[in-house]
Amino acid sequence: MRKRRVIGPTAAVLGGAGLFIGALAAWLVSRGNPGNMGLCIACFLRDIAGFFAGAVTNQAAVAYIRPEIIGIVLGAMGAAVATREFRPRGGSAPLVRFALGFAFMSAALIFLGCTVRAWLRLGGGDLTALWGILGIVAGVLVGIVFLKRGFSLGRAAAVAKPLGWVLPALAGLLLVFALMTTLGTKPGFATLTPEGGRAVVPGEVVVKPDGGTLVVVKPEGATIVGGAVIAQDGSVLADAEAVAATKPMPGGRRAALAVSLLAGLAIGIVAQRTRFCSIGGIRDAILVNRYDLLFGVGGLLVGATVVNLLLGQYVLGFAGQPVAHNDVLGNFAAMGVATFSAMLLGGCPFRQVVMGAEGDSDSAVAVGGMLVGAGFTHWAGLASSPAGLAPNAWLALGVMSVLLVAVAVLGSRKTA
Amino acid sequence: MKELDVRGLSCPMPLMRAKEALADSPGEILVRADSGTAKANVVALLADEGYAVSVDHTGEEYVIIAKLA
Repeated sequence: MRKRRVIGPTAAVLGGAGLFIGALAAWLVSRGNPGNMGLCIACFLRDIAGFFAGAVTNQAAVAYIRPEIIGIVLGAMGAAVATREFRPRGGSAPLVRFALGFAFMSAALIFLGCTVRAWLRLGGGDLTALWGILGIVAGVLVGIVFLKRGFSLGRAAAVAKPLGWVLPALAGLLLVFALMTTLGTKPGFATLTPEGGRAVVPGEVVVKPDGGTLVVVKPEGATIVGGAVIAQDGSVLADAEAVAATKPMPGGRRAALAVSLLAGLAIGIVAQRTRFCSIGGIRDAILVNRYDLLFGVGGLLVGATVVNLLLGQYVLGFAGQPVAHNDVLGNFAAMGVATFSAMLLGGCPFRQVVMGAEGDSDSAVAVGGMLVGAGFTHWAGLASSPAGLAPNAWLALGVMSVLLVAVAVLGSRKTA
Repeated sequence: MKELDVRGLSCPMPLMRAKEALADSPGEILVRADSGTAKANVVALLADEGYAVSVDHTGEEYVIIAKLA
């Protein structure tokens, strides 16, 4: 009779990794990151896309090179090189993976967060995340149907060495731009949400704090008089009440560059070593009756909850949660579509970033799809706001569902 | 000895294939993997199923040999 263990020693390792990442993410919020957004792969890649293309994609409120992403890539790369796990590989349907990354991002921006942030939102007391987490479970279940039917995007193989370095090289390039922008001035083409910037009238009137008082960023020549924004010609652009009611734009809320970078490095190393995944836990529990990976997201939730409580950031409820909306079906469906897409990719967006850093060029391509998808989703006006879903969001989710099922059906016929 | 090749497969395929291969409790099994994640997942599965596991890491791949203890 075989001794069969359902929970192995890696459960403790993954639980510890989840606790660490969740706690660090909650702490990053106290250092300046947006609410319940200490770590969000979708949001952070979206902000990076906004930095480069924000002028075209209408991303003035979400444009900043998030150093956490740079840190995660470099940390994971370092850990992979040190343990001889770095291996340039690829060739498993890269174009399909690009499309899957694109779809993942579009759906995540309708939910307002990735599969990691869904857990972090719940860890901050945001109960609207529950609808998203139910969506994650639904997306996993749909993905499992196709995995059981033999779905595969085909085998990857060794590729030319430089292809393995695409994502680490991109991280290096981002670091140069981030340092240039923080220490000097941003490049002319770039869009940067001003630190602490608040959009009083989105796209038209923007103010930001400067040494205890507010100053006007936009439009030029306007000033603040008695808390109100007054145009050059003396007309009132926004009264004091409207100015006081605004909140900082997500892209303008950030921890210091060094803090974000070091936190990212630590998270990248831990994630590479433990193979932490935000959807794999539920998937493995249902598909192969293995529960170790589930301890990862469990730890993430506990770590974030405890640190949020300790720092006084925990706000339990459905209403008024930071960078979130309470459209029940919208949250459920968007996270369902995003998760289904991630299931077809073989891991959550966090894993895609980490694997890309290990030399997996297919994952790097998926991350590229996410970056382009973020720009497209904002350009097309499909991203949600705290007020709720955009008018065409349901249409977009419908189109993506059809495409994902088509990919899944076509991929299930292969047996290799 | 039973042999299994999970090289180049995305998650969770290596784990699914390994689990299938263990369905008839082979006394000895050799698994080829080429990513650290697939290696770690397969090794954890084999250990949990009561196998004594050894791993040989050559330049390009991991050769996992497991014997039922």
